Amino acid sequence: MLEGAKSIGAGAATIALAGAAVGIGNVFSSLIHSVARNPSLAKQLFGYAILGFALTEAIALFALMMAFLILFVF
Amino acid sequence: MNIGNLYFSFTNPSLFMLLTLSLVLLLVHFVTKNGGGNSVPNAWQSLVELIYDFVPNLVNEQIGGLSGNVKQKFFPCISVTFTFSLFRNLQGMIPYSFTVTSHFLITLGLSFSIFIGITIVGFQRNGLHFLSFLLPAGVPLPLAPFLVLLELIPHCFRALSSGIRLFANMMAGHSSVKILSGFAWTMLCMNNLLYFIGDLGPLFIVLALTGLELGVAILQAHVSTILICIYLNDATNLHQSGYFYNCTKARSSLPIHSERGMGAVHSLSGNGRKRLQCRRKHYVSRSGNICGDGY
Repeated sequence: MLEGAKSIGAGAATIALAGAAVGIGNVFSSLIHSVARNPSLAKQLFGYAILGFALTEAIALFALMMAFLILFVF
Repeated sequence: MNIGNLYFSFTNPSLFMLLTLSLVLLLVHFVTKNGGGNSVPNAWQSLVELIYDFVPNLVNEQIGGLSGNVKQKFFPCISVTFTFSLFRNLQGMIPYSFTVTSHFLITLGLSFSIFIGITIVGFQRNGLHFLSFLLPAGVPLPLAPFLVLLELIPHCFRALSSGIRLFANMMAGHSSVKILSGFAWTMLCMNNLLYFIGDLGPLFIVLALTGLELGVAILQAHVSTILICIYLNDATNLHQSGYFYNCTKARSSLPIHSERGMGAVHSLSGNGRKRLQCRRKHYVSRSGNICGDGY
């Protein structure tokens, strides 16, 4: 019973990945938009995009950490 | 091994941190002392110079700010943090090695000590005026209690989040590589020709994931360093970003320039007009040149 509830909880924690996917897609689509408008800024914008990507990815990893906590700690 | 109530043992993380430290020091030593110091660098020396040159750009970009001496002061600390976390992350990618940063306690210890240090630096530099960091300028008074709370929570959460970010990235990457390679290994051991050929798929995925992990290891060191710089900039310069500094500098340098070009400047407030005059003069001189060339 408890095992099943744990699995369901961990599976539900991965729903958060939907938001992270939207966020990462948004970051890179904005990068492509802005580079298409002004290609001379490509290098600088890529740095910002990578920073934004890492920050967004970290949020997804928080969800992963919650899944691990649910599975292995409780 | 216990000393008092505290637990002091020589564990895996401490061994591998010592290994990382000795690796970095060995690399720097070989490059600077005996074999290196050449004006035309060899491969190792250019690697170390690349790593060394990477950090000042980053620091200048983030905390150039209003006071120019800041970058000199905090550069060594940030440089050491970057180099150490870069090598710790990369060392974990060696097979049968141990990733120090995939342990929560270590990244959290690093991020908490940096957070406390940044807060101390903020108080040292600005005194009690540092508390104005919690309230952006020009906020109506009824909104103030909420805004102070809203600024205080993210500020304190930074200590947690930068540790969790590094840990979770390392942990997630390594566990996904482990899961997939375990899958490939099980498939390989099934004693079936069809499975043996089909095993190439997971194997290539593992290879690609290893490449991705190398990228993530470098990227996370970069990102955590950038974030440390941003937090430090917030603490020392109090919401004044480098952008405003550049704006005011450009604005103050413009009248001098136009004065040199145009003679006397009539009004002090007409900034846009001055810029327009400047541009017009530039245009006139260029077209004059073109005319003089024989058009």
